Amino acid sequence: MNTAGVARMGYDTAIKIVPLQCSGQANPQLIMDALKDGADAVGVIGCCIGACHFVNGNMLSMHRIKLMKQLFKELGYSDQQINHYTARAAEGETAVGDFEDIMARLKRAEHDGTTLPEGW
Amino acid sequence: MVNAMVESVTIFNFGSCPKCFDETLLLPSEEKYAIERVADPASWDGTRTDVAVITGYLVPGDAAVVEQIAANAGQVIAFGTCAVTAGPFGLASAKGTKFLAAREVAKDAIELPACLGEWFELYEAIQGNAPQRPYKKLCSTCKRRSTCKFLSEVVRQLDPATDEESCFNDRGFACNGYVARQCKEKCIDQFTPCRACKPLIDRPGIRMLSMFGTLVANVEVATEATGGIAGTDKLADGPDDVTRGVPDVSGVFFRFSLPVEMPLGKVLSSGNILSNVFTGRMIEELPLIAGMLGGQNAISMQLDIIEAYEQGTGIEVTDVVKTHRNNLRELESQIMTAIENSDAVAYGGTTEQIRQVAGNMNLSRVYFGGFKTVIPGEQASFEEYKAKIIEFKQGTYQAGNVAYTLDAEGKVTDFTWSVKA
Repeated sequence: MNTAGVARMGYDTAIKIVPLQCSGQANPQLIMDALKDGADAVGVIGCCIGACHFVNGNMLSMHRIKLMKQLFKELGYSDQQINHYTARAAEGETAVGDFEDIMARLKRAEHDGTTLPEGW
Repeated sequence: MVNAMVESVTIFNFGSCPKCFDETLLLPSEEKYAIERVADPASWDGTRTDVAVITGYLVPGDAAVVEQIAANAGQVIAFGTCAVTAGPFGLASAKGTKFLAAREVAKDAIELPACLGEWFELYEAIQGNAPQRPYKKLCSTCKRRSTCKFLSEVVRQLDPATDEESCFNDRGFACNGYVARQCKEKCIDQFTPCRACKPLIDRPGIRMLSMFGTLVANVEVATEATGGIAGTDKLADGPDDVTRGVPDVSGVFFRFSLPVEMPLGKVLSSGNILSNVFTGRMIEELPLIAGMLGGQNAISMQLDIIEAYEQGTGIEVTDVVKTHRNNLRELESQIMTAIENSDAVAYGGTTEQIRQVAGNMNLSRVYFGGFKTVIPGEQASFEEYKAKIIEFKQGTYQAGNVAYTLDAEGKVTDFTWSVKA
């Protein structure tokens, strides 16, 4: 993301970045809090598979988000409001590509009317 | 805080099974305070009471009645998980049923969650000795030991005869004991994973999901390419070993907290709360759920569910199993009579006999093919009445008053019970 910024790459202004040391820190409580506090979608972007500085933080996050996605589907909501991506630190365009994917999936969910209700 | 000067206790039964309401029969009758039991709170005359005990789940339509109760009571106690978070009935919130937590209306209510509500804890709370944090952890009372090592597989059933020492979670068998308090029913002693009816912490569902999601880090999770020239890996949307291992996340991790932790669901409702609770659940979880919310009909409901699947899939049971099941059905009719007569002695005696056979009042020992743990005093060898690991077969199953349909994953897609809604 830093690389994307340094290279002045553009992305949707709706994207708000919350830096964490590791995607493994993005626990489900935090994600639910973000959604409850007004985020339309949460995309967790971690290191590439096998490249975690903390051994397997990205995998932990992926597995938890997989269960969350299942939960959302069980409740009748789109699971596209929570996603997990990977990006390469040296290539800003990978992060920007993820941002674009987050927005595209959110728009589809909004179109389908399956996003979480406001202020739940 | 309630104190020893309590002179009157009024116990209300709102919507539920209503086992917690029945369990209050066990409150010692020689106490100085008078106990009034109100089965229909809407018709309550509003007489001032020192302690109001609320049992059963609440819906928005109950708010006015609960407000009236709170206004006329020195202290409100929410007894049982249904009163606190809607209990297992709260699973119906996935299909749009709205519930109310007692504290949303009675803000200072003492919460005593548990399924079944623990009458001794209620007794202490009436004396002014409500349980205080930090609570004792369920895991600290469990004979199994957890290593919290990463798992490579998730399983939906385990053979009851194997390994008495390893934590269920260590074996990939999701158990919510990590987020649960020490309890009386203790399903874990009956080879049944805990579902945290008595939570140790706030937001137990999402935290247990987080914990289990972490534990299964070595299970194969599906990824896909994001596409484009700068594509990387993205978590895939399709099924994988994680979702196949836990096909019912809400039913496993949020069984007792769904309405308070998650937004109201949008899944199409069947119009029947019981059907809404059971639809979406995994077949191997049905016996415990029925044991929890079946109330005075819990035994027959549970056995109907079990026998329907056994008959439909050709699972044979031994005479020992049949004898114990008949015994349980007989005990069910006895307990109904005891409740009808408000006979605390008979009620207490019958519940002890049920616990002897079924393990606890949630009937955790009872399963497909037999029983999960040794029945005390049973002369036959465990092999003769041991529960069986079932295969998940798509189809419609019916026995007694119960009928349900399963999909290929073993999840309920339709459920009806013709006795009580």
